Amino acid sequence: MEKLISNYSEQVTPQLKWVTDAQLEQIHYATLEVLERTGIVVKNKEALKLLKDAGCRVEGEHVWIQPWLVEECLRLAPKRISVANRLGERVMPLEKNRVYYGTGSDLPFTIDLETNERRTSTKQDVVDASRVVDALPNFDFLMSHAIASDTNPDVSDLHQFEAMTLNCSKPIIFTAHNAENTEAIIQMAAACVGGVEKLKANPYIILYSEPISPLVHTHDGVGKMYKCFEYNIPVVYTPGVLAGGTTPVTKAGCITLMNAEALAGVVIAQLKKKGAPIIIGGGATPMDMKTTTTLYGAPETYMNYGIMTQLAQFYGLPNFTEAGCVNAPVPDVQAGAEAAVTILMTQLEGCNLVHDVGYLEGGKTGYLPFLAICDELISMARYSGAGTRISRDHLAVDCIHEVGPGGNYMAHPHTFKYFREEIWSPRFFNRYHWEQWLGKDKETPMDKAVKEVKRILAEHQAAALPEGAAEEMQRIIRQREEEIRS
Amino acid sequence: MASIKDLTEFVIQADIEKVKETTAALLAAGEDPLKIINEGLIPGINEVGERFKEGNLFVPEMMMSAQAMKAGVDLAKEKIEGADIPNAGTIVIGTVAGDLHDIGKNLVSMMLDSSGFNVVDLGVDVPADKFIAAVKEHKPSIVGLSALLTTTMPAMKEVIDALKESNLRDQVKVVIGGAPVSQAYADEIGADGYAPDAALAVELCKKIA
Repeated sequence: MEKLISNYSEQVTPQLKWVTDAQLEQIHYATLEVLERTGIVVKNKEALKLLKDAGCRVEGEHVWIQPWLVEECLRLAPKRISVANRLGERVMPLEKNRVYYGTGSDLPFTIDLETNERRTSTKQDVVDASRVVDALPNFDFLMSHAIASDTNPDVSDLHQFEAMTLNCSKPIIFTAHNAENTEAIIQMAAACVGGVEKLKANPYIILYSEPISPLVHTHDGVGKMYKCFEYNIPVVYTPGVLAGGTTPVTKAGCITLMNAEALAGVVIAQLKKKGAPIIIGGGATPMDMKTTTTLYGAPETYMNYGIMTQLAQFYGLPNFTEAGCVNAPVPDVQAGAEAAVTILMTQLEGCNLVHDVGYLEGGKTGYLPFLAICDELISMARYSGAGTRISRDHLAVDCIHEVGPGGNYMAHPHTFKYFREEIWSPRFFNRYHWEQWLGKDKETPMDKAVKEVKRILAEHQAAALPEGAAEEMQRIIRQREEEIRS
Repeated sequence: MASIKDLTEFVIQADIEKVKETTAALLAAGEDPLKIINEGLIPGINEVGERFKEGNLFVPEMMMSAQAMKAGVDLAKEKIEGADIPNAGTIVIGTVAGDLHDIGKNLVSMMLDSSGFNVVDLGVDVPADKFIAAVKEHKPSIVGLSALLTTTMPAMKEVIDALKESNLRDQVKVVIGGAPVSQAYADEIGADGYAPDAALAVELCKKIA
């Protein structure tokens, strides 16, 4: 056994902080000031009544929230949310500094794997993305990636959920049109795990709902959230913003406004049900002042996430951010750079749920092989985030002594013992010498990613559903269609 | 004293105070208010539009130039009696029923406004009958429809159908926009045009107005 060292301290993983606790307090106070002074608009009647009953000043739909109520609700919100997969395994505890990656939802366009043409997304694209995410080792959760545009628009969210849960057993973050469709999706999920009680005990689905910046909480956005709380289903309630458009252009102002929207969400949630599982955050993207596009693959975005993640940790609440979502329209050198930097930063920042991985064109277009490339980037980021081991055996002085001056380490048992963990190996990136690369027909990482995606689509099968679950989901979709028709 | 030509430069510089001062001085000196608008203020905002298109100006600079121009126009208008204020055309715009997103629509509104259009913005979650009423009231040359959600895209077609039923379809051009919208969708529902961003929306409107 190694002898103990007195006064020794270790940094096992790298530590990345953007601001101090004193600065976080300033953002928190600014947020309280916005909620107390400017207030919010609430278009959901139930939430409006709950806020009024809790003592808030209410004029029409305009609500002002006192700081004590915000603090009280922060105290009630759960600090840890356990999320399971479809098989009931509690694989995704949302705790401080645990980082999980997943796709985004609802891309209107897809670059076709066979034709390489950009076309409207279909339900089959959701099916394919689900199978790919199920198979890729570094993706932890699934969002629909594409829109099922070829299904009935009234129930396209139900079709997307069916496609996802049939083809992937990882945790799912779903989008829904309204509270009624949310109820239907919860019933579909219940069918996949053996009933509502089992789903409540081990939720494998999370709703993604949003306020609209600045400071508007909609009827459907809140209604969907409330429906989930009835079933203990966690809810991501986060705005998507354009700094300089829907929020102040300054990073601190953008964060303050989003935090006000998030904390208003926490109040609206806890007034409905004490301990309601809510996840805060927001899409902290600036507006490009030349083209007006949303800047996802930009430095401001991950800089904001650095602080927003610290804020969530300051409150002790799980948070939701994004990375690997790029402005490049095709998966080119720009896409690679944007994805790599944002994925690495979110890993080091310790964000909880990092979504939108693999989005192209600022969240309008998808291309499945880019998901595989992002999987590689996540692997690289996780490797870096795991830190550097400093132990007697890792310091390797015995090994250095044995090899001596002028020797080499290639055949030493120490190298054999450690090389796999001490040198990261890519699946897709090239490391050939030129001649070796010519011998591989100049195969690019994307060529390899395309091959891997095609292999997954040909071979991979997700874990099976319980008997009758697939039929029950179809029955629920038909029933919901009939309800809407009548 | 500053000239009409200087006024153009002050609009480009987005100097609201100097635009106001100069406009007031020119009016006090007896200059024709229509000439101040047409030869001083509008050339300024046109130049700003050009520079924006070329990528040499940013959105907030264009917005501020538009405010400067408007400040001048407002002063000049007070001296115009009965005469029509020149504009590039009237457009009725709104986010369709069921959809509460307005950033994209607001940008298009502001940029059209900055480009000399008379913009009637109906806001968000606008049902088809409200569009019809606005068309009857304001007699626009263009109706602009916005949607962010795929679920509300069908409401765009409902507005076009309502225009047909009210026998107003021939009197207006319909343009659509929003993240999930495409030229193919515009063709499918019989819209007259689609623009992928706010700057191109202005170009489109100028072309078809």
